[in-house]
Amino acid sequence: MNTSKVNIKDLKLWYGESEALHGIDIEFSEKRVTALIGPSGCGKSTLLRCLNRMNDRIPGCRIEGQILLDGDDIYAPEVDVVQLRTHVGMVFQKPNPFPKSIYENVAYAPRIHGLAGSGSDMDELVETALRRASIWKEVKDKLHTPGTALSGGQQQRLCIARTIAVQPNVILMDEPCSALDPIATAKIEELIDELKREFTIIMVTHSMQQAARISDQTAFFYMGDLIEFGETGTIFTQPEKQQTEDYITGRFG
Amino acid sequence: MPQHTIKRFDEELDKLKELVLSMGGLVERAIGHAVKSMLDQDEALAKKTIERDKAINALEVQCDEMTRDILVRRQPAAGDLRFIMGIIKVVTDLERMGDLSAGIAEGTLRSLEHPPKEFSNLSTMGKKVQKQVNRTLNAFSRGDTELAMRVIEKDERIDVLYKRMYRELLTYMIEDPRDITASIILSNVAKNLERISDHATNISEMLIYIERGHDIRHVDHEAAAKLLSGEEI
Ligand SMILES: Nc1ncnc2c1ncn2[C@@H]1O[C@H](COP(=O)(O)OP(=O)(O)OP(=O)(O)O)[C@@H](O)[C@H]1O
Ligand SMILES: [Mg+2]
Repeated sequence: MNTSKVNIKDLKLWYGESEALHGIDIEFSEKRVTALIGPSGCGKSTLLRCLNRMNDRIPGCRIEGQILLDGDDIYAPEVDVVQLRTHVGMVFQKPNPFPKSIYENVAYAPRIHGLAGSGSDMDELVETALRRASIWKEVKDKLHTPGTALSGGQQQRLCIARTIAVQPNVILMDEPCSALDPIATAKIEELIDELKREFTIIMVTHSMQQAARISDQTAFFYMGDLIEFGETGTIFTQPEKQQTEDYITGRFG
Repeated sequence: MPQHTIKRFDEELDKLKELVLSMGGLVERAIGHAVKSMLDQDEALAKKTIERDKAINALEVQCDEMTRDILVRRQPAAGDLRFIMGIIKVVTDLERMGDLSAGIAEGTLRSLEHPPKEFSNLSTMGKKVQKQVNRTLNAFSRGDTELAMRVIEKDERIDVLYKRMYRELLTYMIEDPRDITASIILSNVAKNLERISDHATNISEMLIYIERGHDIRHVDHEAAAKLLSGEEI
């Protein structure tokens, strides 16, 4: 059975006067990969940012509706946003390692959150995160060199290691492969497939093929509305809505 | 349906469909010629029909190449994907129908030394099967699922015709053992026609999949009709 991990109820979002999301209802299942697709400007990143409250910092941005993580409202007044972001991690389009060593990139957040005690505990935590992000073998001999010196694909896997080091429940990814070559992309996709055993993954992608390859469910957005949401196999062979069909077959605009 | 943003993709799909339809046209003609060659005991027509099957085979190869090209370049999805999958199947059916027609013409050549005294229902059956093929091609050309459904329903009548003809030929054989060779040839011809009609049915089933996304193969007619009308089964 698919248990609901994140439940969004009638979510509306405004940037100042303009409404960018018009009442979204969607449930993301636990330990599954959901792809968010849709034309540029339809609100994919906006929705993703709501899930770890990154929109809070944008002046003039306000929301209505509810987002429940494991049944709890993440916008409730008592919620600590920093704590929330350890539960809901984010991987961005451009790999953005800190200008520190590979080791420090991974150890930084767990240290802040007091997740590892002694030095050897931390070593173990760092190694585990790097292994789970499938980059350990490539970096184990240069843990103290700068993360920024890695290739783009390696940097992205380092960022994934950094995200999973704090044991989140949900990982958000906004076009994580758009800056990568096909091989680095394949490695990330393989990694996502591995990570979904433990994490709920929600990713934005502009590649229909990528959505079809790695997601279990696909949600199609258009101009701030959720048009169709369903099993990826169905969406890509027999979508219900004409708009979805037009978009995924390249008949849009 | 709106056009693809990439116009060449539309052109490629149109061209592929045209090619499949012209392959279908050749098959339709081959069936007519094959049956006529038998009824008229026309050796030249039989040989021509066998020779022309090569053109059908060549078209199959050409369709497959185009399909492969579209798959690798366009990575079709949804309706486009179902269309391409359908084409792959339809082309195989058409090629088999061509072979079965050539088989009928070969029967004509063998029958020249053992001319049948009677052709039983062959003429009627030939016309009906040709009509089935014509309908399925029209349905395919227009995306007409109702017509496709009719092809599927009418296939049973062809089966009945075949069984009747087979029984009749059996009695000839029992009555006069000298007719055995001719009757066997004729019953093989009838069997080929019956199988051609089966392939026409396959094409109609594929069309329904392409147009509606319902896979109605191995589903009985009533259930298929319900599916198409939107009822649950
Ligand atoms: N910080 C912001 N301030 C004001 N408007 C914004 C802001 N961010 C996004 N928008 C607007 O909200 C709408 C949705 O934008 P969003 O970035 O979520 O789209 P997207 O689907 O992620 O597009 P893309 O595929 O191009 O990344 C757009 O009209 C955009 O202009
Ligand atoms: Mg975006």
